[in-house]
Amino acid sequence: MAAMLKCVMSGSQVKVFGKAVQALSRISDEFWLDPSKKGLALRCVNSSRSAYGCVLFSPVFFQHYQWSALVKMSENELDTTLHLKCKLGMKSILPIFRCLNSLERNIEKCRIFTRSDKCKVVIQFFYRHGIKRTHNICFQESQPLQVIFDKNVCTNTLMIQPRLLADAIVLFTSSQEEVTLAVTPLNFCLKSSNEESMDLSNAVHSEMFVGSDEFDFFQIGMDTEITFCFKELKGILTFSEATHAPISIYFDFPGKPLALSIDDMLVEANFILATLADEQSRASSPQSLCLSQKRKRSDLIEKKAGKNVTGQALECISKKAAPRRLYPKETLTNISALENCGSPAMKRVDGDVSEVSESSVSNTEEVPGSLCLRKFSCMFFGAVSSDQQEHFNHPFDSLARASDSEEDMNNGSFSIF
Amino acid sequence: MKFRAKIVDGACLNHFTRISNMIAKLAKTCTLRISPDKLNFILCDKLANGGVSMWCELEQENFFNEFQMEGVSAENNEIYLELTSENLSRALKTAQNARALKIKLTNKHFPCLTVSVELLSMSSSSRIVTHDIPIKVIPRKLWKDLQEPVVPDPDVSIYLPVLKTMKSVVEKMKNISNHLLGFIHLKVGTKYPGDFSHFSFNPIVLTIRGQFSQVIEANLDGELNLKIETELVCVTTHFKDLGNPPLASESTHEDRNVEHMAEVHIDIRKLLQFLAGQQVNPTKALCNIVNNKMVHFDLLHEDVSLQYFIPALS
Repeated sequence: MAAMLKCVMSGSQVKVFGKAVQALSRISDEFWLDPSKKGLALRCVNSSRSAYGCVLFSPVFFQHYQWSALVKMSENELDTTLHLKCKLGMKSILPIFRCLNSLERNIEKCRIFTRSDKCKVVIQFFYRHGIKRTHNICFQESQPLQVIFDKNVCTNTLMIQPRLLADAIVLFTSSQEEVTLAVTPLNFCLKSSNEESMDLSNAVHSEMFVGSDEFDFFQIGMDTEITFCFKELKGILTFSEATHAPISIYFDFPGKPLALSIDDMLVEANFILATLADEQSRASSPQSLCLSQKRKRSDLIEKKAGKNVTGQALECISKKAAPRRLYPKETLTNISALENCGSPAMKRVDGDVSEVSESSVSNTEEVPGSLCLRKFSCMFFGAVSSDQQEHFNHPFDSLARASDSEEDMNNGSFSIF
Repeated sequence: MKFRAKIVDGACLNHFTRISNMIAKLAKTCTLRISPDKLNFILCDKLANGGVSMWCELEQENFFNEFQMEGVSAENNEIYLELTSENLSRALKTAQNARALKIKLTNKHFPCLTVSVELLSMSSSSRIVTHDIPIKVIPRKLWKDLQEPVVPDPDVSIYLPVLKTMKSVVEKMKNISNHLLGFIHLKVGTKYPGDFSHFSFNPIVLTIRGQFSQVIEANLDGELNLKIETELVCVTTHFKDLGNPPLASESTHEDRNVEHMAEVHIDIRKLLQFLAGQQVNPTKALCNIVNNKMVHFDLLHEDVSLQYFIPALS
């Protein structure tokens, strides 16, 4: 009994699915297929770990949905459940879900299933007259990462029609790196964040003020200005074209991630973006868990003083510096693996491990303020594993309580056929 | 120095946006001259532009219902600003359904032209969009290079054909040619009844300068030909019945040899850039050629005049 996924969709469902893939492609070049009893989740994280996207299709979204996990019985009665660990490249998947409008019109059915024995995902499109198109895509065995973020505790919550976001986005050129969201209890402003480009005499600074009555829901607990990456904002807009649900934005103070969500009963999309922290008295850490490779450290050291590392994680400069690797940095879970010896789910023993241990040690020594930063970084990601409980008791505690959806997943062993 | 202006009329705003788009296509960086009655977009004939120069003029009261400016000094009541043309056109593009558009000179960290738009929205409150466009103030001592160019007496003046057609022809020819050779046959024909009883048209004798050349030849009978010659092929496009405006100084041409040809080499890419900037067919389009010196395009887009000078290739 291997971990597996099997689902069937109609033409219009394929369109939504395809839009989800396109939206996630704004964040990363790869994504995980993560089936569970809650439905099929598509998850991805960008290379600098500053943005995370997840689109969860509930079981009732599909015409047919079936999944299973592998249960490993062990003597000490601690069964471990191994879910499907399937990572796919966008380059392979995007071309399959092109021309979504024509797919919607022409296909009768789409079937997606995995073949764990061959590490393949099979996508089949059934057209009229018995025509069938089949794609076989190899997947990498890789533990999906997921974010731990509780939207409900956020001080500031907005709900907007996608149209508003689309109107705001045209103000900025595609070369705009970051945008700043400034809110007061009465109004909302999206503006270009030109902190880096103050010296660039050619950059136009643009702002859009929108009154609170244009929002479906507008609750601002405190005046806030937060800055995040523009490109990823466009990602959720892509997906909003597929549904007609409004976009919800959850955020707090600068430095704490911002969540963009769309929830239309059948599909739930969440994009969690890191935000630039305030330039406070925090020592700027030259190292960060997010970017623990040696190469990254030298990049960070060159950055302006006073900029918080989380901001550095955010800045797309660091993304550009980061080579696109096949594996996004999975060092976070590696670190917890070190502390959590013997965790069976953390199987990534690659050359990174030794580097990782270096960085975690040197972090504690050199940078007193870094614990907060590490908390932030770790809050972001946890592996989907049966050891979630242990992970939380770990000194790298999450700043935010996980919402029940993420925790409950592995509290028991189960397999469904 | 102060400048504040406001547009509330939708048609004026659209027209201003179109002009700004055109300028953005013609000149990457240009000078905006603000004076009490007019706005000018200026490109002066520096080497960097390849000697091309542009002078665009509009009457401010045709666009703005509020316009206040205070120049550098009382005697020099003008403002000269340098800006990236695309920044302005992009900012104006976001003002499509605006209730009002305001432009003013500001200083936020550095001098800016601030374009502020009040947009109609579905709710009771408007949306306000602001763009701060960085600018450079041009000092008084450089103003002399930015004055309206003197238009020399043309040897021939002719109305242009539909610019879109002309552009597509020149585009195709550009692939073959790099130089544009302009020939104007000064043929006094039926336009001057009584002088001649026939009309003769001397097709071609070209001196080919450079490996590839394009010919523009036109006569006073409203005919214009665009032509390229290469070693293997020769392509000509004929435009007829274009009409010629009356020459300003006809008297000086009376004793000229009517066979005299005015010719000028120009860079075809510059011609193409000029034509590409004309998204809308102008109200009036005139072409003046000065023998071996330059071609001067004189256009009128409703109430905005555009003059564009392309010099001869040296």
